[in-house]
Amino acid sequence: MALTTLALLMTGMWAMILAAAAFLVIFVAPLETYIYLFGPRGGRLTISAVQAVIAILIVVALALALNRLKGIYLRRKLQE
Amino acid sequence: MLDGANLIIYGAAVSAISFFGVLFMMPAAIRSLTAKCKVVPDAHKPERPQIPRPAGPVIMISIAAAEIVLFLLTMNIAVFAILLTTAIAFLVGYIDDSRVMPGWFKPVALLAAAIPLVVLDIYGGGEEYGEGEEYGEFLNLIFGRAYIPLLYIPLMFIIIPIAGNTINSIDVLNGVASGFLIIATIPLLTSIAIFGSHEVFLAALPLLFATIAFYRYHKFPSRIFPGDSGTLLLGAMYGAVAIAGSSEIIGVVALLPAVMNSFLFLASVKRIVEHREVKVRPTILTDDFKLAASTDSMAPATLVRLIVVDRPLGEKEIGYQIFKLATFTALLAFASIAIQYIVFLR
Repeated sequence: MALTTLALLMTGMWAMILAAAAFLVIFVAPLETYIYLFGPRGGRLTISAVQAVIAILIVVALALALNRLKGIYLRRKLQE
Repeated sequence: MLDGANLIIYGAAVSAISFFGVLFMMPAAIRSLTAKCKVVPDAHKPERPQIPRPAGPVIMISIAAAEIVLFLLTMNIAVFAILLTTAIAFLVGYIDDSRVMPGWFKPVALLAAAIPLVVLDIYGGGEEYGEGEEYGEFLNLIFGRAYIPLLYIPLMFIIIPIAGNTINSIDVLNGVASGFLIIATIPLLTSIAIFGSHEVFLAALPLLFATIAFYRYHKFPSRIFPGDSGTLLLGAMYGAVAIAGSSEIIGVVALLPAVMNSFLFLASVKRIVEHREVKVRPTILTDDFKLAASTDSMAPATLVRLIVVDRPLGEKEIGYQIFKLATFTALLAFASIAIQYIVFLR
């Protein structure tokens, strides 16, 4: 029983990782097309910094979501 | 790029060197460590038998021999970078095996293991990026690639310490770290074979074959423990081949149970500490030598604690439960490979 629930937890984590990857590909990677807004020299650096910040925020959000999942799971299991 | 015949010959050579190196040298290492009293008690068994430790040097020698042969055959810089990263992680672990170091030592010292990958420019890309084309710093994100250079280099300094410490933190029961790594490495190798380069695929083979040979001695009941030198070198090598083989996400998915174990522990204790420094144990040993979940609210959450939360289980049984979970996440990793393959075909 514990293993089935853990497998479901893993599937949830997998789905979150895929969702984050899809978000990065669909919304963050195309930000490159706005390089021209920041000029020929600083454009690459600025856009890369913006992309990196968004990616880091997504990873932080993933970690928080996982922490919440863990909290719910542990509370339920240890109260049984 | 290697042709089919060379791929098979080189692959057979590096697999055989790493496999038989560990297989034949380990009995001598067990005898030598036992004679020198380099032993630790196996805490989950009656009478707490003394088990020799560490097996890291034998694993390192076997993997290094295979990687050096591969480097001489291919002169590929990625092979050299993977070897250097593995060797630095081994040294970090060996220091930790030899003397008691604080909890921050391993993650901080493992930052050095990422340096060869950065300095030798081993990241991203893959076979579709030929000479003269823009190469490197591409994050392989299953549904496509993203070019984020400011993210990728710092990411390598995160991946290597995390991969090393993740395998280190799952080394809690007989055979678990090695058996788990064997299962996780199979989808990683598949991904590298499809999306990475031939040379990195060949460089990753010793990780699998050395671990298979080591599992023979590490499985329940263990005849030797890997020590920090063994687990850190295997974890860091896993991270290095995932980076060099353009398979970071696949590597993370295959490693999910171990990643979750590290994350749960960190989220519980809220600081980087060694397991021995934790006052309240996550599990308790029952009179019949089974592990039960601690009901203390201050006890850290770990994968083993979650597995035994329903009922106490024996050490061997918990190991099998972890392997079943690892097989499940390996299947998820294969599903990710299939998705990526379909996306790339389109």
